[in-house]
Amino acid sequence: MPQKLHRLGLNETINLVKNGQVSLVEIVEDYITRIEKIDKSVKAYLTCNFESALARAKEIDSKSQKGRLAGAVLALKDNIVTKSVRTTCGSKILENFIPPYNATVTEKLEAEDAIIIGKTNLDEFAMGSSTENSAYFTTRNPWDLSRVPGGSSGGSAAAVAAGEAAVALGSDTGGSIRQPAAFCGLVGLKPTYGRVSRYGLVAFASSLDQIGPLARKVRDCALVTSVIAGFDRRDSTSADLPVPDFPASLESPLVKRRIGVLDEDSLSEVNQEVAANYKETLQLLTELGFKLTTLSFPTWQYALPCYYIIAPSEASSNLARYDGVRYGFRADSSELSDMYVKTRTLGFGPEVKRRILIGTFALSSGYYDAYYARAARARQAISREFQSAFQQVDFILTPTTPEPAFRLGEKQDPLSMYLQDYFTVTANLAGIPGLSLPAGLTSNGLPLGLQLLGPAFSELDLFKLAFLLEKNFDFKNNIDEIKNVREEEV
Amino acid sequence: MLMTGRLPIMLGMKFDVNYLSKLANLNLTEEEEKQLPAQLEKIIDWVGQLTQLEIEEDGENFTPVDFTLRLEPDEPGQSLPLAEVLAMAPEKEGDFFKVPRVLTGK
Repeated sequence: MPQKLHRLGLNETINLVKNGQVSLVEIVEDYITRIEKIDKSVKAYLTCNFESALARAKEIDSKSQKGRLAGAVLALKDNIVTKSVRTTCGSKILENFIPPYNATVTEKLEAEDAIIIGKTNLDEFAMGSSTENSAYFTTRNPWDLSRVPGGSSGGSAAAVAAGEAAVALGSDTGGSIRQPAAFCGLVGLKPTYGRVSRYGLVAFASSLDQIGPLARKVRDCALVTSVIAGFDRRDSTSADLPVPDFPASLESPLVKRRIGVLDEDSLSEVNQEVAANYKETLQLLTELGFKLTTLSFPTWQYALPCYYIIAPSEASSNLARYDGVRYGFRADSSELSDMYVKTRTLGFGPEVKRRILIGTFALSSGYYDAYYARAARARQAISREFQSAFQQVDFILTPTTPEPAFRLGEKQDPLSMYLQDYFTVTANLAGIPGLSLPAGLTSNGLPLGLQLLGPAFSELDLFKLAFLLEKNFDFKNNIDEIKNVREEEV
Repeated sequence: MLMTGRLPIMLGMKFDVNYLSKLANLNLTEEEEKQLPAQLEKIIDWVGQLTQLEIEEDGENFTPVDFTLRLEPDEPGQSLPLAEVLAMAPEKEGDFFKVPRVLTGK
């Protein structure tokens, strides 16, 4: 098979396997060659499973009945647990953690014959928007190696954009799938809260976290979502609702045509090219016959402060389990309480400590009502505003990020990093789905993302609208484009 | 009932890093000591803008779960294999995780 298989979309590779034109071993070998060639520059992977991936490929090749994902070479963000494969969460405190079980999403992917080739880098415990908070190294954006891939699922985004995986899973607590998807020219879905089981996702903020895919094409994203979604008795917050066959329905007519858009004020502080791209998309939608309604969202500006109370509060509780007893890493001490403190002091990086301390503060006696309880009520107000908006419109469109990918080291102030989540964080607070779609390039060739939001469990409609827009945008996110710009340098 | 305005408790509030570190069972490294306290004060001040939002009294128990949760029978299932779980123990004794002594002092 002379062609470079890693350049193909997931759907194409799966069809080649189905028609007997290529073997799984050939596909995996091609990805291994690609990773060995390029990952020393992109640095998307924390751990690669080449041997087990090849062994698994041979096994699947010999099966007469193959699963829906036979031919898919996937990567998982390293906060999704994988049995017998190190899962670090980008943290020193889990540097030796080898999980004794698989996450539900890992099981579901493998049951459909997907091959997991490696675990991708992330901001420590998924706290960040650039992967610069990883305790190991910083991942680079394949579109411009001097820039960040976004975060926290930056390794997953960079791996897919650079052709080091066909699709990758990420997790999204405040924008951690959608922002890196936007920065790397990918489609990324944060599903409805409860759509995908969180069993085996290392908990950051349990009422906000969701697992979702990052892919180069809407169809690929839809296919992987249809595999990982669904009820799981091991996650009591997963929804017992039927999962539509997302890819099969992409081309059926989209009857929902009402779109809510942001007013001028909401765009006043975003990058000019981001705003211009957004307005061009609205023009396109009008031409396509959609009805646009400008929405007023008084609570939106309070979503970030609300999130930065709720998420750290939940994190401070969730991360209390890392005490040096059960997960491999321990600092030496002759007394228990001292061992806890030393382990956590050495094991956690600065951003994790910042968030644990903010959360501890917001939940502490005397401050709980003023901070946590108030944020919870604000969250309800934001959710109600969405419910009311979705009485008038079927979708809401926003830019995914206020600016395109920024330079490594550019954002030293934590607050300026937090503002990255301005457009994305509301979906997590309200529990609704959000999809980021590549919508164009800046004048210096960086991808721009468009975010589509819908009511709870409206993923199928989001995919259908994204599929329609994808055809009209004709965004060139194939590997050749990236190769021409960058591969000589790497 | 709508609430608005800055709450008195948020005015002149002191973010006591030492006290909170103790509650959270962690210390700051020397490098973190130089930066984190000021950064945290700034972040807490920034989230304080939430007090400008008019919100209703209810909602403290808000949940993003927008569907009926399915209840499962409360029956014991299979646990993780003990040996695999204990393989992650920095120190163990028999079938137990071992920790340094719990009681301090003489």
